[in-house]
Amino acid sequence: MELWILFGSFVTLLMIGTPVAFCLGVASFLTVLYMGLPPVVVFQRLNSGISVFALIAIPFFIFAGDLMVRGDIARRLVALAGAMVGHMRGGLGQVNIMASLMFGGVSGSAAADASAVGGLMVPQMKARGYDVDYAVNITVVSSIIALMIPPSHNMIIYSIAAGGRLSIADLFTAGIIPGLLLAVSLMVTAWWVARRKGYPTEPFPGLRMLGALFVSAMPGLILIAIIFGGVRSGWFTASESSNVAVVYALLVTALVYRSLPWSEFVEATKGAVRTTAMVLLVIGCAACFGWLLAYLRVPTQLVEILQSVSSNPIVILLMINIVLLILGTFMDMSPLIVITTPIFLPVATAFGVDPVHFGVIMILNLGIGLCTPPVGAVLFVGCAVGRISIWQAMRTIWPFYGAAFATLMLVTYVPALSLWLPSVFR
Amino acid sequence: EITLRSSDTHPDGYPTVEGVKAMAEEVREKTDGRICIEVFPSSQLGEEKDTIEQTQFGVIDMVRASFGSFNDIVPVTQIMSLPYLFTSVEHSHAVLDGPIGEEIAAAFEERDLVALAWYDGGARSFYNSQRPIQSIADLEGMKFRVMQNDVFVDMMDALGANATPMPYGEVYSSIQTGVIDGAENNFPSYDSSGHAEVAKYFTLDEHLIVPELVAMSKTSWDKLTPEDQAILREAAQNSSTLQRELWAAQEQESLDKVTAAGAEVITEIDKTPFIEAMVPVYDKYVTTPENKDLVERIRATQ
Amino acid sequence: MREGMIRFATLTGAVAQAALWLAGIGLVLMTAFVFAQVFFRYVMGSSLFWAEPAAVMLMGWFIFLGAAVGVKEGYHLSFDVGLMVVPESWRPWFHSLSDVVVTAFGFGMAWFGWQLAARAASGVVPGIGISRLWDFAPLIGGGILLMLFSVERILRRAAGLKTMRFGDMDDAADGVVDGAPGAVRADDLLDGKAARPRERT
Ligand code: NA
Ligand code: NA
Repeated sequence: MELWILFGSFVTLLMIGTPVAFCLGVASFLTVLYMGLPPVVVFQRLNSGISVFALIAIPFFIFAGDLMVRGDIARRLVALAGAMVGHMRGGLGQVNIMASLMFGGVSGSAAADASAVGGLMVPQMKARGYDVDYAVNITVVSSIIALMIPPSHNMIIYSIAAGGRLSIADLFTAGIIPGLLLAVSLMVTAWWVARRKGYPTEPFPGLRMLGALFVSAMPGLILIAIIFGGVRSGWFTASESSNVAVVYALLVTALVYRSLPWSEFVEATKGAVRTTAMVLLVIGCAACFGWLLAYLRVPTQLVEILQSVSSNPIVILLMINIVLLILGTFMDMSPLIVITTPIFLPVATAFGVDPVHFGVIMILNLGIGLCTPPVGAVLFVGCAVGRISIWQAMRTIWPFYGAAFATLMLVTYVPALSLWLPSVFR
Repeated sequence: EITLRSSDTHPDGYPTVEGVKAMAEEVREKTDGRICIEVFPSSQLGEEKDTIEQTQFGVIDMVRASFGSFNDIVPVTQIMSLPYLFTSVEHSHAVLDGPIGEEIAAAFEERDLVALAWYDGGARSFYNSQRPIQSIADLEGMKFRVMQNDVFVDMMDALGANATPMPYGEVYSSIQTGVIDGAENNFPSYDSSGHAEVAKYFTLDEHLIVPELVAMSKTSWDKLTPEDQAILREAAQNSSTLQRELWAAQEQESLDKVTAAGAEVITEIDKTPFIEAMVPVYDKYVTTPENKDLVERIRATQ
Repeated sequence: MREGMIRFATLTGAVAQAALWLAGIGLVLMTAFVFAQVFFRYVMGSSLFWAEPAAVMLMGWFIFLGAAVGVKEGYHLSFDVGLMVVPESWRPWFHSLSDVVVTAFGFGMAWFGWQLAARAASGVVPGIGISRLWDFAPLIGGGILLMLFSVERILRRAAGLKTMRFGDMDDAADGVVDGAPGAVRADDLLDGKAARPRERT
C-alpha cells in the first residue's frame, strides 16, 4: 500500500504538470503521512541530501560552462573543430560532434553542451542547407559525449550515491575511452546519413588557418589539460577541479579574450544559479524519495527478484540497462543516479561488475535518456535551439539513437574499455 | 508482531552490523518471532547524524553510531571523544562497563535515546605515504585528512601536522597524487578503503579510541512491555560481547592482510610525548569542574 | 483585480530579483572560498577549515533561493504529457492544483525546517563555530519564498495574467532564447509584454 501511495501520487503529480522535484518531495511527504511517521524526516532528508561538499562540483561546472559560452571560449573551440573536420562528408555535422568532444573536455553538462554547441552550429547548418532535424539530432545525441569525457559532475554524483568511497579520479579517467568511442560511432553515423542525403562538405581552410584557430582556441584547450593534469598530479581534488575551471574561465574571458563585460558576467551568474537550483532541488527531493524506497526495502526486494530471474551477469546487465533506459525516458539524470545507484550497484557488484565500470555504464545509459522524450532535458534544449517540435526531431533521430545504444552495449560488455585507462594511471 | 528498524552506516558483514543481527536473532528466538529487528546497513537510511535524529523522532527504532556523532546532542560524548583519553581498547571497556557507563547512559536517556549496548569502534591511528612515523617530530608539516571536527583539527595542530578536511571518497586519489600525505583510521577501514595501497606507513598511535553504541528510540522503547524490554537489554548485552570479539578478529585479519600486501606497521612507539602534547587541547575542551572530574575518573579507571 | 495583481507582481518581481542577486553573490563567494582552500593548501601548505562548511552552507542558500525564484519564473523541469491529453479548459485547473501542492511543500519546508532548526540550535557547525540553526535557515527562508511565489501564480492565473512554465523558455538556463537572431529575453515574455529583440554577443 505504501508503495502504491508513493508511486501513485508521484505519477499523478507528474501528470498534472507539477515540477519533478516537487513530485518527488510531495509523494514522499504523503507516504510518510500515511505511514504515521513524523513528516519532519522528509525535510531532514531534503536538507542533508544537498548539504554534501562534493556536490559543489555541480554549480561550479555549470557556472564555468555559462562563462565559457558567454565569454567566447566555446565559439573558438567550435571554430577550431570546424577547421579540423569540416571537410569530411557531412562536414558541419562532424564539426558539431568534434566540438562536443572539445567542449565536453571543459564542461560536464550535456545541456550546456547542447545549448552552447547547438546555439552556434544549428543556425550555420541551416544556412548551409542541412535539414534542421539532422542538425538538432546531432546536437542532441553528441552532447552525451560531454558526460563521458572528464570533467563530469554526474560521475561525482554517482560516486556520492555509491557511498562516497569510489575514486572520482578513476571514474573521470574511465569515461575517456567510452566517450571517444561514442564520438567515433556518431561521426560514422553522421557520415552515413549525410551521404544518403547528399549534404555538403566544407573546404579545408589550410594548415595556416588551422594553426591560427588552434592558437586562438588554445586557452580553452589548456583548461582541459589543467583539469585533467591538476587532478592527476595532486594540485587539487576532482571536485575542486570544478572550482579551478570557474576561476580559469573567468581569468581567460576577462583578461585574455576581454570578452566578458560585467553585464554578461551577471547574466552568467544568474543563469548558473537558476540551473543549479533546478538540478540540486531535484537531487535533494530525490534523497527523500530514495530514503523511503530504502525504508520500504524496495532495493532488497528488487535484488531478490532479479536474482530469481537469472544468474547470468550478461542477462542481469542487459535487464539493468533496459530498466535504466526506460526510467531515463521518464526522469532526469541526476535524480535517477541518486535513486537507482543504491538499488542496482549492489546487484551489479554481486554479479562481479566493477563499481567504476558500472558508473560508466550508468552515465552513458542515462545520458541517452536525456535525449529521449517525454522527459529529456537535452532534447528540449536542442529542439528549442533549432525551433522544431520534439516529434519533428524524433522522426529522424533513430540512427543516432542506434549508434549511442551500440556504444552502450560495447561499453557494458567490454569492461576493459572503461577499466584499462584507470589501471594505467594507478 | 513488532518490527524494529535499525540503521548502520557500515556494510553487511561488518562487526557492528553482525552484532545487531545477532541481537535480532536472540530477540526473535526469545519472543517466538513477535519482535523482529531489521538491520539497514550501508547508510541506506542516511549518515550517522541523520539516523540519530531519525531515532530521536521515532521514525526509525534503533541506530548504531559512534560517540563522535552524538557530540552536539549528548555533550558528555565530547569528552569521551578526546584524543589519547583511553590508553587502550581494554581501558575503554573498563570505563564503559563500570559506573561511568551508567552515567553516560543516563545522559543519552535525557535526549530520548535508550543506550542498549556499547560496541567497539577500534582505535584510529595515522597512516601516510611518506615515511614511518616514530615520534611527534616525524609528523612535522605533514598533511593529514581528518574528519570535519574542531577537536581533530586542534589535535593535529598540537602535534605540528596539518589537518586537511576532505570527503572520504577523495582520500585515496589525494594520497596517491600527493594532495595530502596521509589520513587516519582503524585497521579494517585502512584495509577496506584501499588506502593501504597508497599509504604504506601505518603508525599504531591509537590517538582516538571512540566507543560506539546501539541506541533505541525512547518512543519505541516505551511501547514495549517491561518483559520485552528486559529481553532486548539482555540480547543487546550479549551482542556487545560478540561484537567486541568480532571486532578484534576483524582487526587481526585486516592487519595480516595489509602487512602481507607490503604495508609497514609501526607498533612500538612511546605514546607519552603524544599524550603530553594534548594538554592545550584538554585545556580548551575540558572546562567545567564536572568534566575535569570525569576525565580524572576515566584516567583513574583500570 | 488585474491592476492590483500587476502591482503585487511588481513587488514579488523585486523580491525575486533580490533573491536571485543574493543567490548569485552566494555562488561567487563560494567560488572564492573553495579557491582560497585550494590556494592555501597547495601554495601556503596549510588548510582553511571554514572554507568547506561555509561553501556547503552557501550552497544551501542559493539552491533554496534559486529554487523559489524558479517557481516564479517557471524554470523547474516538468512534464507536459498529462496536460496534452485533457481538454484545454482543464489545464488552468491542473496548473493551479500543482501550485497548491507546491505551496503546501513550501509550508512544510518552513514549518518543519523550523522544528529541525530549533532542535539543532544548541549545536555548533564544525569549522565555522556558528549555531547549527543556520544549517536549516535556508530551508525556512526558501520555504517562505516558495509559498509567496506559488500563491502569486495562483492569483495571476485567476487575474488572467501570463504565468511562466517550463518549456516557455528554451534551455531555461540563461534566460535567453539561444541560437537564432532576434532572440528575446525570457523575462520580457512575462505578462505578454512586447518581445524585445536582443542580439547575443
Ligand atoms: Na565533460
Ligand atoms: Na553537439
